[in-house]
Amino acid sequence: MSDRSADILPVRQSMGGISDQLTGIPLHFPVERRWLIAMLFASLLLLMLMVSVVVLFAEGVGIWGINIPVNWAFAIHNYVWWLGIGHAGTLISALLLLTQSEWRNSLNRFAETMTLFAVVCAGIYPVLHLGRPWYIYWMFPYPATMDVWPQFRSPLEWDIWAVLTYLTVSFAFWYTGLIPDLAAARDRATKRSWQIFFGITSLGWRGSAAHWQRWSQAYRLTAGLAVPLVVSVHSEVSLLFASGQIPGWHSTIFPPYFVLGAAFSGFAVVSIIAVSLRSWFGLYNLVTDDHLDLLGMVLLATGLMTAYGYVFEVFDALYSGDAHELQTLADRLTGAYAWTYWGAIIFNFIPLQALWWREVRRTGWALLLISIAVAIGMWLERYMILVTSLYRDFLVSSWSKFTPTFWDWSTYFGTIGLFLVPFLIAIRVIPLISIFETEELLHEEKEKTHG
Amino acid sequence: MKSRRPQIDGDGGGPRLWSGLEELSNDAAFQAWVDAEYPTAAEFGPTARRQFLKLMGASFALAGLAGCEKSPFVAAFPYVDQPQSETVGLPRYYATALTFDGYAQPVIATTYSGRPTKLDGNPDHPVTKGRSDVFMQAAVLGLYDPDRAQGPTRHGEPTTWMDVTAAISTLRQDWAGDQGEGLRLLTGPTSSPTFQHQLDALRKQFPKMRVHLHEAAGEAARRTSTAAVYGQPLDMRYVLEQADVLVSFDDDFLGPGPNQVRNARSWASSRRRSSDRPGMHLHAAESVPSATGAVASSRLIADASRMARLAEALASKLGVGGATAGDLTPTEQSWVETIAKACGSARERALVTSGPLGDVGTAIWVARINETLNSAGRCLQFMQPITGPADAGTLKALVADMRVGKVHTLVIIGCNPAYTAPGGLGFAEALKQTRSTLHVGLQRDETGELCEWQLPLAHELESWSDARAVDGTASIIQPTIIPFYDVRSVHQIMAMLLGEIDPAADAAVRETWKSAFGDDFDGRWRQALHDGFVEGAAPAVSATVSSTAAPSARSAAGEGLDIVFRPDPTVWDGSFANIGWLQELPKPLTTLTWGNVIAVSPALAKRLDVVNGDHVELAIGDRNLVGPTWIMPGQAENTVAVFLGYGRSQAGRVGNQLGYDAYRIRPIDQPWLAKGSLRKTDGSETLAVTQLHHRMEGFDFVREVTAEHPTLPKADTPTSLYPPWPSSKNAWGMVIDLDLCIGCNACVAACTAENNVPVVGKEQVSVGREMHWLRIARYYTGDVETPRSFFQPVPCMHCEQAPCEMGCPVHATTHSPEGVNQMVYNRCIGTRTCSSFCPYKVRRFNFYDFRAPPDSPTHAAHNPDVTVRSRGVMEKCTYCTQRIEAAHATADKENRPLREGDVVTACQAACPTKAIVFGNINDPNSEVSRLRRDGRHYVLLEELGTRPRTTYLARWRDDDGGQG
Repeated sequence: MSDRSADILPVRQSMGGISDQLTGIPLHFPVERRWLIAMLFASLLLLMLMVSVVVLFAEGVGIWGINIPVNWAFAIHNYVWWLGIGHAGTLISALLLLTQSEWRNSLNRFAETMTLFAVVCAGIYPVLHLGRPWYIYWMFPYPATMDVWPQFRSPLEWDIWAVLTYLTVSFAFWYTGLIPDLAAARDRATKRSWQIFFGITSLGWRGSAAHWQRWSQAYRLTAGLAVPLVVSVHSEVSLLFASGQIPGWHSTIFPPYFVLGAAFSGFAVVSIIAVSLRSWFGLYNLVTDDHLDLLGMVLLATGLMTAYGYVFEVFDALYSGDAHELQTLADRLTGAYAWTYWGAIIFNFIPLQALWWREVRRTGWALLLISIAVAIGMWLERYMILVTSLYRDFLVSSWSKFTPTFWDWSTYFGTIGLFLVPFLIAIRVIPLISIFETEELLHEEKEKTHG
Repeated sequence: MKSRRPQIDGDGGGPRLWSGLEELSNDAAFQAWVDAEYPTAAEFGPTARRQFLKLMGASFALAGLAGCEKSPFVAAFPYVDQPQSETVGLPRYYATALTFDGYAQPVIATTYSGRPTKLDGNPDHPVTKGRSDVFMQAAVLGLYDPDRAQGPTRHGEPTTWMDVTAAISTLRQDWAGDQGEGLRLLTGPTSSPTFQHQLDALRKQFPKMRVHLHEAAGEAARRTSTAAVYGQPLDMRYVLEQADVLVSFDDDFLGPGPNQVRNARSWASSRRRSSDRPGMHLHAAESVPSATGAVASSRLIADASRMARLAEALASKLGVGGATAGDLTPTEQSWVETIAKACGSARERALVTSGPLGDVGTAIWVARINETLNSAGRCLQFMQPITGPADAGTLKALVADMRVGKVHTLVIIGCNPAYTAPGGLGFAEALKQTRSTLHVGLQRDETGELCEWQLPLAHELESWSDARAVDGTASIIQPTIIPFYDVRSVHQIMAMLLGEIDPAADAAVRETWKSAFGDDFDGRWRQALHDGFVEGAAPAVSATVSSTAAPSARSAAGEGLDIVFRPDPTVWDGSFANIGWLQELPKPLTTLTWGNVIAVSPALAKRLDVVNGDHVELAIGDRNLVGPTWIMPGQAENTVAVFLGYGRSQAGRVGNQLGYDAYRIRPIDQPWLAKGSLRKTDGSETLAVTQLHHRMEGFDFVREVTAEHPTLPKADTPTSLYPPWPSSKNAWGMVIDLDLCIGCNACVAACTAENNVPVVGKEQVSVGREMHWLRIARYYTGDVETPRSFFQPVPCMHCEQAPCEMGCPVHATTHSPEGVNQMVYNRCIGTRTCSSFCPYKVRRFNFYDFRAPPDSPTHAAHNPDVTVRSRGVMEKCTYCTQRIEAAHATADKENRPLREGDVVTACQAACPTKAIVFGNINDPNSEVSRLRRDGRHYVLLEELGTRPRTTYLARWRDDDGGQG
């Protein structure tokens, strides 16, 4: 791989040029109009979310389409979807850091930023879906006057820990990685306001060897914390379902299935962002076709691993012979919500097969379309997991149906706004590709070429 | 409970009392009160005012003092002088009765601080023995109905009883003029001896007056039938304890009605006579699926007009003279042969019945069969009709007289003919032609709106009255609460018609019973109020089939579909339309709520190409209506069932604009069975059904045993990783016998009343958010044309290894040492994990704030021992934990352990067949332990290892042939 990685960034560019190019984006923003339009659209979505949340808190979760037995639907499956998307950012930034895969260096900044905001979008849902959200703090173990502690055997309790930890560590990791770049922007800033902003946020970075050494330790430590969190958080999320006995949920394949599915959906969204940013800001020299190639390969790999999960769910149901599992399998394949199942399979795995071809992987718009399909497919898969298991479970007398309401959809699309607005602001304000890491990589490549 | 004593006697320690009217007449506050209450009195001159005050003296005394506000509720006020026997917070129980179609339904009312919150059966009463039905359970909500008439009105404008009295005295002069020729009374069915006495007294005053009886449902059909068969109208009683074989020809005797509790109780006790096989066999031939058919050993599906044919065939097989058997399909043939064999071997322990709503031909053959079998006197008893009034005319005759102007004053008591009269009769138009109309009823309903005067009736729970149960046992109805609106009981109003100015509430009733009780009146009166009934059922009379009874040839012959009318299982004839509990109660077999349907057979639905909810137009003669279809599995092919009680316009905020009005097309002469046609029209609607899927899909939720294999195979409970919970002395468990459940939903109604379960409305039910803690799952197996039906009550299982307890992150659902899975409402934050993990889906969530608005009178119906849940909180069956705790408290005070029978859950108390048994499973001698050792015992979803405390007894499958 060393030959390839040596070529991953075109060698014929200067380090200063990279710095100029990347710090120029926040300092002298090139695509003002496009950005404003995108920001307007995202702000409207965010406004829709705020209205939905106000109505939700005023009237109750009854505004959604949930009922008994389908008492978890959009709120939970969107939560899992967002959280899953977040995990890919951590995998790119943290895992690939620890395995010293250099191709991460162009992608890790915006991937990690994506993680942060995706986790925020996910994190509001455990509050929103509560019947009495003002008491969420009871899920925290504090010495209460009621003398009651949370119930620690519950997967939801683990959920609080998992998401908070993940959010905290992701934030720490992201920020740590940002510091040298913020200093670079500070050094290049001409307007006083930028100088102050970047001056404060870069925490007095001087670039000295001692700084670098401490920074490297901190960076690797947080990376080391973040990676196992990917596995543990999404496994825990899967246990929200797998701990119950509901047919279609109660399967040991759920933890790995969910983690792989998270990686799959997350890499798809990273690809979408990579292709979009690359074309908007002309970053072809930094996010090269080789990067897309690698992203496509990872996408294909995680997609096939997720498909394994599908196959084995079917196998487990058939092999077990359990009447209720077979009923759920039949419901998934042919029941009222079979469109979620087949939709998930088609969107997830059919366009994905094009990634076997190198040309497709290296083509931006192809990768973009396939990634959008995967994002939709994974959304449908979460919907399928939630609703097809709940709407018909053991007793026939509790079988029902689920129809999402306007507020279900508005809250979901609103969270896309909640994601996009800070992300768009981040593009304005922070170098969205890691300057020092790409420069480091370029430096190594140059040395290899020259040496 | 005695009526409140007037406070003019100067009881010490109370507020300042007045001792003479004169003292008051100069009191400024009193003047103001008089002006406010009686605006007309303000215009009197001084002497007229004195006269007026004298007249009002008595009612002033009863009403209290000047300065007392007429607030709707005096339910919560601090006692200055606390009555000796009252402990605030502990309930007091009063035995009284409600009436249903005129018959008494004995209840024990649980009252807190002077208001009733729950009704249970009266365990000593010979008819019901403590059991109840949905109407008895829901009646308490009718007391607090916000749409009740709160005071007398004239043309819709509020008026006073003073004005009413004045008007009546003017009318009385009119009546006196022609000896009551123009006076008519139209009343609903009643069995009240006091009312009869008052009618007799009124007749004595006005000899030419006439009384008419109108019952929308009721026993009129049965009386017509018995009159045709036995030559006299009779009430019939099935003594099922004496029967081994029971054959029903379209007789839903286990279905809703005044006889349900008695029939269900006796059928159940007969069924479980022996422990190793079913104690009696019920065979049913029916056109519309009903509870009776669902629990029958064998069920034959036949159109309503075919019943006479089948009865005749059975008669001929049993040797009844003049009967011919022929023209039967092979299925019918084999069924009749099986039945004939069973009846033949059982002889006088066999009973054949025909439905009261069927045709006379069937009734005649059935009566002849019973005579041949000699079951009269043994399984079948007759009585003189218990409800009346005696010698009442018909509604049809009244309307005819109204049209020609013979009726000058019409007093309508306790019925709603503007709504329930058959549409073709034109009652509303005739009413407009009547000079003076007075409506006496609970609310200003469809009839009250058209009448000049609407006189608000006191609810039975706040009245003095009396009535007779289905076996003739009399009950004295005593009030359980002081009337909080300006209402009067029917006897007070009758007394006003008799000329009294301000009759006392209990005077007439006391008067009636003075003669009955004789010398020891006080003792016997108190005994009757304490017991809830007066010993002495009506005597049985003998009856033989009249020789002139001739089965008419092919009754209801004619082209077209059989259209059968049925009272609605939860709102009956429409009188319960404004009671939210009953609107939301799923109707047995369809689990439909908040509306009625036109039920068709699957074959007919296929012919018409309709699915559930599609609109169809039903036509009988030249009248038609449009309503939604319901495909009823197991309905006879050419029979269409239409349900009464809906389509109301003046029922109140709960009952208005629901369903279609079947009375519009109801025939005048044959109100229960007609010929008609059906066609599909445009449009459809969403039906609010609580159970969407009914086929059991091959699962074994309801298990069965047969006489050959009377025990179930031993099941393996999976081992658990969790250690078992330590148990305290009492461990609560419940066993539900599925062989006895008739799907009547009394348990659901009782649970709703006991536990403050909210009513969510039609839209929320159709989304799937009904709040019933207990559901009656209705399943069927077999093909949709000839299904076998099953009922399975599903409350919380109180699993020993509960998935919900593991799922809750905040310890809102915990396990008590006695095995109850507890729900801690104030800790619940509403994650709904418990419901997701529950395999039985017995939990219910408050998606919105389902509580009634703060100023609603229905808050008074809440049980103060049970939390009223707010938005965002989960709730579920708690094994009536408040009753468990109350029993613990009583036992602790008496320094003794809990005994069997100390704790009775609401569902257990209500169930007419005693299918639900609850008790201490640590006590090997308790009934619940005994049933857990029964061979039919099984656990629902045992393979999940949840170890539920609520378990079941399998149903007996005893069909040997037939379509079952």
